[in-house]
This record gives sequence, C-alpha cells and structure tokens, in this order.
Amino acid sequence: MSKRPWKNVIKEGFFKAVFGTAAVFSILAVVLIIVFLIYRGSPALQKIGFFDFVFNAEWMSDSRDTYASEVSGSYGILTMIAGSLYAAAGTVTVGGTLGFFTAVFLAKFCPKRIKKPLNQIINLLAGIPSVIYGFFGMRVVVPLLGVFSANGDGSGILAVGIVLGIMITPTVAALSGASIEAVDASYYEGAAALGASREQAVFKTVVPAAKSGIFASVVLGVGRAIGETMAVVMLAGNNAVFPSGLFSSFRTMTANIVLEMSYAGELQAGALAATGLVLTFFILVINLCFNALKGGKMAKKRTAAGRKANPFGRYFNRACQKTRFSASPLYGQNPPKEENYVNNKPAKHSNAAAIAAVGKYVSYAAAAAAVFALLAVVLFVLINGLPHVTGELLFGAFNYGGAPSIAASLLATAMLIFLTSLIAFPIGVFTAIFLAEYTVKGGKFVRLIRLTVETLGGIPSIVYGLFGMIFFCGILNMGTSIIAGCLTVSLMIIPTTVRGTEEALLAVPDSLREGSYALGGGRLTTVRRVVLPPALPGILAAVILGIGRMAAESAPVLFTMGASLKPTPTGYRSSGTTLAVALYALAREGAYVDEAYATACVLVVGVLTLNIISAALGARLQKKLSGGGGIKAQSK
Amino acid sequence: MSQEICIRTENLNLFYGAFQALKNINMDICGREITAFIGPSGCGKTTLLRCFNRMNDLVEGCRSDGKIYIKGRDIGADTDVNALRREVGMVFQKSNVFPMSVYDNVAYGPRTHGTKKGRLLDGIVLESLKKAGLWDEVKDRLNKSALGLSGGQQQRLCIARALAVEPEILLMDEPTSVLDPISTGKIEELCGELKKRYTIVIVTHNMQQAARISDKTAFFLLGEMLEYGATKDVFSDPKNEKCERYITGRFG
Repeated sequence: MSKRPWKNVIKEGFFKAVFGTAAVFSILAVVLIIVFLIYRGSPALQKIGFFDFVFNAEWMSDSRDTYASEVSGSYGILTMIAGSLYAAAGTVTVGGTLGFFTAVFLAKFCPKRIKKPLNQIINLLAGIPSVIYGFFGMRVVVPLLGVFSANGDGSGILAVGIVLGIMITPTVAALSGASIEAVDASYYEGAAALGASREQAVFKTVVPAAKSGIFASVVLGVGRAIGETMAVVMLAGNNAVFPSGLFSSFRTMTANIVLEMSYAGELQAGALAATGLVLTFFILVINLCFNALKGGKMAKKRTAAGRKANPFGRYFNRACQKTRFSASPLYGQNPPKEENYVNNKPAKHSNAAAIAAVGKYVSYAAAAAAVFALLAVVLFVLINGLPHVTGELLFGAFNYGGAPSIAASLLATAMLIFLTSLIAFPIGVFTAIFLAEYTVKGGKFVRLIRLTVETLGGIPSIVYGLFGMIFFCGILNMGTSIIAGCLTVSLMIIPTTVRGTEEALLAVPDSLREGSYALGGGRLTTVRRVVLPPALPGILAAVILGIGRMAAESAPVLFTMGASLKPTPTGYRSSGTTLAVALYALAREGAYVDEAYATACVLVVGVLTLNIISAALGARLQKKLSGGGGIKAQSK
Repeated sequence: MSQEICIRTENLNLFYGAFQALKNINMDICGREITAFIGPSGCGKTTLLRCFNRMNDLVEGCRSDGKIYIKGRDIGADTDVNALRREVGMVFQKSNVFPMSVYDNVAYGPRTHGTKKGRLLDGIVLESLKKAGLWDEVKDRLNKSALGLSGGQQQRLCIARALAVEPEILLMDEPTSVLDPISTGKIEELCGELKKRYTIVIVTHNMQQAARISDKTAFFLLGEMLEYGATKDVFSDPKNEKCERYITGRFG
C-alpha cells in the first residue's frame, strides 16, 4: 500500500494516450471528409446556385466550364435524386419483401436441422462484392428482361431493383431475423394459448411485436440502395432523365460521380463533389431514422423482455435463440390481443387462419427464392469462370490490347490489402479498446466518438472515393497511386473494424474485469491478459471481414488507384487496378467476356473464403467465452 | 484472540450521483475474525465492502468522503490501488473465473505482481488450491479450462485465486448465494479454516450463515449501520428494534 509507483503510472498513461489518439483520429477523419467535400463543392454550388443545382432537372455537363468563365453547361441533379429514390424503392420492394419473409421463415418455420446452415449460407452471401452482382445483372438479368422490354433493352429500374434487391436480402433477413428472435416467447405462447394457429401467432403477434426492428432493417436497405454505386452503374442505363417506366434508363447520384469524375473539368468536378454532399446528406438522414427506430426498439425490448436486443450483435444472436422457448414471468402482464379467435365467430376464425397460412407459404417461397437467387449468383460465376481460370490469365505478362492477364491486379490487390491492414486495423482496434475499456459509458467524449464512427460507417463508398481523389490524390499530391487507394480504403475500413472489435470486447463479461481488478491487476494488465485473449477470435473475425471488404470494394479505389487495366505496379507510388475494378473494366468493355468470368470467379472465391474464416473465428469466440472443449459452463 | 484493529472507517459517506448509499459509517473491524454484514437488499452492505478495496472507483458517478484505514494506513486518493487490492482480496457473488486453465487462474495474481519463475508459481498454485480445499478435486486437471468446473468448485477457485496474492484481508460478497447447500457448506467450513490466517468480511443474506460462521455482525438499513457487535449478542439480544424485526424475519 505504498504511494503509486511512477513506472506503472507512466506505462498506463502511455497506452491510454495511444488508444485515445486512435479514437481522436476517427473524429478527425469525419471532419476532414465533410470539410473537403464542402471545400470542393461549395464554390460550384455558389456558381450554379444551390436551388438550381437541386431542383433543376437538366444535367448537361461541360468539362470546359471553370469558376471564372461563363457557365455553358447546365448542372441540375433533380433527375438523379429521383433516380436514387426510384432505385431505393425498387430495391426495397424486392429485397425488403424477400428479406422479411426469409427472416420469418428462418426464425419461425424453418426445420431445426437446416436452420443453422441456411443462416450461415445467407450471412456468407452478404459478403459478395457488389461488382459481382452488377456483372451477374449485366450477363443474366438484363438479357432475360430484354425479352419483355419494348426496345429490347432490359436495363433500367426493374433490373436494378431485382439485382440490388437480391443484394440487400441477406442484410434485411439478418436484422429482421434478429428482432423477430428477440421477441419474448410469452407473446407466442399467449397467442397459442388462446387457440391461435402457429401461423396466426407468428404473423399477428410475434411479427407486430418486432415491427420497429423490421422497419429499421428496411431503412438500412434503403440506405444501402442509395449508397450503392457499381452495380447500379452497370445496370441503370445512366441517362440523366426522369425514369418513365420499368425499363427506362435512369441515373443515380452515385452513378453520376462514377461516370464523370475521371474526365471532369473544374466546375464539373465541383458539381460532382456537391452531388456527393447531397448524397451524404441523404444517407445521414436515413442513418438517423435507422438509429431512431433501433433505439426505440431497444427501449421497448428492455421493458418487455428485460434484456437488450442488439441487432448488430451477431455473437449474441444465438443466445437470443436459446431463450426462445423459455417461460417468461411477464406472461399475463402483457396478454396479446387475440380476441378475434374466440370461438363465438367460427366463420371469421377459419378465414383468419387461412389468410395467415398463406403468409406461411409465402415465407417458404421467399426463403427458397432468396437462397436460390443468391446461390445462382455464385454458381453462375463459378460455372462460367472456372474453366477460364488459366495460368496465362493468372500469371501472364501484361500486354496492351492483347488478351488480358490479372497478374497485375492480383499484385495490386495484395499491396492494397497489406498497407491498408497496417493502417486501418491498429487504428480501428485501438479505437475500440479505448471505447470499450477506457471510457465511462455514456460520457460526452465517447458519445462523440461513437457518433463519428457510426457516421463514418454510413458514408457511401463512392463518397470515400471522391474524398480520396480530392484530398489524397489532389491536395496531398499523391496522384492516382496505390498509396492513395490504401489511405482511402483505410478510412472506410476503420468504422467496421471498430464495431466488430467493440462487439468482441463487450462480449467479455464485466465480472472478469472486476475479478482482475480485485486481484490488483491494473487496467492495462486487465485488458491485455483477461479481456483480449477471449476476445481475440472475435477481433480476428472483424479483421478478416475487413480484408474481404478491401478486396470487394471498387468505388473507393476507382479514382484513387486506377480505373482501367494497368501494368504491374512497381511500388506504392505507381497506379494499379484491384481485382474488383479489373472485373468492372472487363465487364463494361465486353470484349473479353471469358476473362471477365474468370476474374469474377477468382474474386468470389477469395472473398467467400475470407468470410468463411471470419465466421468460423466468430463461432470460436462464443465457444471460448461459454466454456471451451464442449463442457457446459455454469450448469445452473 | 488478538483484538488488533484491521479496518477502520471514520465518518464514511458515499454517494451514487445524488443518492446517498452510506451514511456516516464509523466502525472498527478486528483482525483474524469473521465479520458479517447483514441487512435487506440495497442497504449499502456490498457498497461498504467495495470501499475496502476501492472497487467503487470503477462505478461511474460514485464519490465518498470520510476516511478508511487499513491496518492504520489511510487508503485515500494517492494510494496505489493495485497494491491495496493485493492486500485486500475479494470474492464475488457470482464466480468469475477467467476463461483460462485452472492453473493460470490461480497464477494470474502472482504473475500480475511480477512472479515469473515456474517453480515458484507451481508452489503458490499448490498452496492456494490446498488452502481453498480444492487441490484434491482439480490436481489432475490443472491445465483444463476452469469453465468446466462445477459452480461450487468455481467459487472455491476464485477463493484460491484471491489467496494466491497473499492478502491480509478477504472480502466476500455473498459468496454462496448462487450455490447449492453442499457447496455452501464447504465454503463455510473453509471460512472457519481461513480465519486463522486472514481477516474475513462477508456480506450475506442468509441469517443462519451469519450466525453460524461470524464472530461479529453488523446490521445495515438504508445506508446506516444500526447495530454492530458480537454475533451472539446481535442475534440473541439485538438492541435496535429494526434489527430485531429483521433477524426474526418480520421484514426485509
């Protein structure tokens, strides 16, 4: 019980400073992104006029326009705002319906035996790169729809809606599923005890109780659809007009940025940055809605079931499932309204049961359709691509104009993953350690960091690309180079790393921390020896998922690293094309279809492998914390 | 029996935000005895226990005034809390064994405080497990995960883990409330054994337990200490009327 030993105090302080600095960096990144978008966008907005920019329906950009000269083009993005909203509506109609009914099926009607593998398959497919979906859409969906289209071209809102709908299905299904599973078993039991059929109990009692969580998942889907870039560019047709039918061409805000950024003149680039600002604004509003819905749901859950339900807590989902059939003390306090089924109205009774039964078959069909569609995407790529994955393609020398080889892209992707990992993971993991271990929960500073991390996570990837191009390539004078791409992608990976790591750390119960403190372990010792070891598989899972995203994303590296097939990079200062971008380039060119299939195949196999490893590690975290070696912990 | 004073509080007040959890506590706790804290839930007994090793530091919005002396030394702001917690061990209501092997659990404390040598650690682990009456049950599975032990074994492992850093005082916060009667019996027996070497302060909701094992008993209500004395006096002839009603089961 001496005075504090200075050596320890300094050591503790040093590490706290390291973790805190990482956290501050996240704030800095958000501020930088917003500031530089405004810096680039506001002169253009002034020149064009904010009102004209947002409410003018004509977009005729002219790359010769500068801030000084007369404006000869016209810059109005109303058609694209409409386009983004149309795309979102189409996506949610398809993906929301599929996702919701799939979730109901998985949570309530699925035979136990196939539930776990089915869940895993759907979660895995959430990681398929969007450029693959775009490619699938171009090769399969658009030609199929072309049969029904008057002008023979199948691209347009319907194609975008179907493909993006399939793309968001796993996300919607996972989040909706989590909130359906979190509904207290007493609701179902109460309905069943009043004579409701299984379908009636599910659709009239359980689903309504989970509705805010389901809405939240749909809102998230809207956000993803508005923020999605590559798949939309590949399928929308991209004319800047108001869409007039299911097959009419249209352009979204994200597509506008991708299509014109590479050759944009001064005013045009400013207008594109301003498009990014408007896009970010939309996304932030949607995120606010999502958080409000999620927050409302959590509060409700706490009073209804006395336990927190976290839709993001993939590690906690299983715990929720386990308690599904446990009897609840709250039964009786919250009797579900089921007066319709009382037997004095037999006609109505059978009618209602029949309607609910239809819902059951719809959910069976939706789940089958979702799994079929997702597997179709993967199988399509594998079957068409595998025969063309040749040594020549993988390792051949680069030659302009000749048959393409992806050797350079493989190297560029590896370089991107290597340096981005070195930058993003330490910052992300340290920020999470700071948030989870060093802060008073609910303090102002923490709330600020958490808010900025969430904001950073919500920004669409194309906006990162825009920022990277303005800031790293332009202001920091890096040019189109791999290092600029690494820095840009780092900013994008940090928020997901923080979220995944924090989840893993918070899964370690507080009682273990208390135990260590009570033995005289300091904070650093406690984190290092008690918290980190069991959380490690979870952190690794987040890291590997992050690596998968680095390989999968193309929008942020398109303008920062290189958009067309490039020769083998010679260093971080040279430009390079990642696999995903190479696929985009090959697919749009259309000259080397076989090579495009093969590239897609390599990309899908790589990303899915990383996701499988990540899921396995996540499962290990759970096992470790609940007693390794299959011995049941805490038998009481 | 020596009556050396081991823990002393002077005018101790403690607040959680605006709520006052402890009101002007003055008490002396004697060495090498078992002192039991009893009282209804929320009366402040656990809070007081957590003052003795400053675990309340970890609770947000918690502040206190007054003084606490452990073996005559003030444990105010500029104490090294880690050294303090080494001297004042704690066992929690719910066992919180670390998700590592039995051996590593016991060795955690000594390693934290700088004992690295394998043979030395082996000795400490053996001694601690023996003192906690667990050695015979776990000697063949020292390298297996501690999460595989039964609830009672886990709690005794927590005691062994606390003993491994050679504390002078052992704080026990309802150590048997989640255990079955047989495990509870083993831990009570162990307390009787341990008090020969350690000062034990135990919080309990189980009146029989307090009467069975403790030398002194303190009764708390709404943050105040209403009665404190030798256990047999408190239970046979309580001076405070509320204490009497609590002990006889008429409220609480």
